[in-house]
Amino acid sequence: MTVTAARIRATRWPAVRPSAGLAARLGLATVWLVAGAAKVGDLAASGRAVNAYQVMPYDVATVVGAALPFVELALGVILLLGLATRLAAGVSAALLVVFVTGIVSAWSRGLAIDCGCFGSGGQLAAGQAPSYLPEILRDLGFLALAGFLLIWPRTPVSVDGWLAGEPAVEDDDD
Amino acid sequence: MTSRKGQRDAARVVRQQLARERRRRRTLWTSVGAVVVLVIAGLIGWSVWSGQKSDTFTAPPGANDAGNGIVIGGGPVTIDLYEDYLCPACKRFEQVSGATIDQLVADGKVRVIFHPVAYLDRYSTTEYSTRSSAASGCAAEGGKFKEFTDALFARQPAEGGPGLSNDELTDIGAGVGLNRDDFGSCVRDGTYRPWTDKVTEDASRAGITGTPTIKVDGKDVADPTPAGITAAVEAAGK
Repeated sequence: MTVTAARIRATRWPAVRPSAGLAARLGLATVWLVAGAAKVGDLAASGRAVNAYQVMPYDVATVVGAALPFVELALGVILLLGLATRLAAGVSAALLVVFVTGIVSAWSRGLAIDCGCFGSGGQLAAGQAPSYLPEILRDLGFLALAGFLLIWPRTPVSVDGWLAGEPAVEDDDD
Repeated sequence: MTSRKGQRDAARVVRQQLARERRRRRTLWTSVGAVVVLVIAGLIGWSVWSGQKSDTFTAPPGANDAGNGIVIGGGPVTIDLYEDYLCPACKRFEQVSGATIDQLVADGKVRVIFHPVAYLDRYSTTEYSTRSSAASGCAAEGGKFKEFTDALFARQPAEGGPGLSNDELTDIGAGVGLNRDDFGSCVRDGTYRPWTDKVTEDASRAGITGTPTIKVDGKDVADPTPAGITAAVEAAGK
């Protein structure tokens, strides 16, 4: 029973992987585009959200807060196009690890802030409970998408594939 | 193994090596291109933000020495209030504790410094936080800051909408006794927008991450109720 299930999965996997990769790429692209767009309209507020974590001096936090939405948007566009997918996935994973670390550290220090992941951010109003755990789980989900693309960066309908001029296959034995 | 087969194998190995080399170079250059795009995007963010910051500002009459708040009253204990005119929690705070603070001012016990920060520009479609804060500067110029502030909280618009228009702000100002022409043009021209930026920037720098924030002699008041504020003022006065 388990053996046959495993075998079916093994035979289906090569057929499923390209579409799973495409879904992961477009999903991660959407995450970055939405996150960047939510913050890009008010860069000062984005800087305040970074500052609320209290991990860097105010002036550094404002610069990071101003640059971050643009980097997120660029990352979203790069993933949407499927350009240098493995690198984009690596940068995504690195950013997400930083974000998760920031939230965990805010949690452990007892700060009551909104993560500022998709706009808003900063300190919560009195009586409003922070939702650190869902925020962390959500970021870990995004991290899984990035991990998938790190391992299997070749996806259909991508600039990478077009530049290579070959169908999306990992191994190309002649 | 014939020598012909050996040659074919050798040629295949060379072809494979060339292909691998091409692939490596392609990956390198696309990666370099992507990194350049990301770095440029970050620099764009930095420069856009630097361009948005204003360096010069004029504080309205009645401001404190630092120029980042309006002073009400002259008691020995200082209460700093950081509020955004769009913030619902600030309106609730004013409803619950506003009268207590007014009484402390009237009794000569406290000096209030009101910092009208613009933290919530994203929660209106017209940057209502900034416009209303700048308008409060105009009201301070006309000597009616407190009256205008109370009127703004009484007529606080909902988050997510357009907020009050400049004309509506002018009407409210005229309603509390400000000169309609002077006040109206000050609101329309955004005369005190650079001051609002300064107030907001200074509050951010001071670590004020949310509104309302209430400080008594520089210390956060955890319990901003009438009882909590009165207790904090009495403790600070000793």
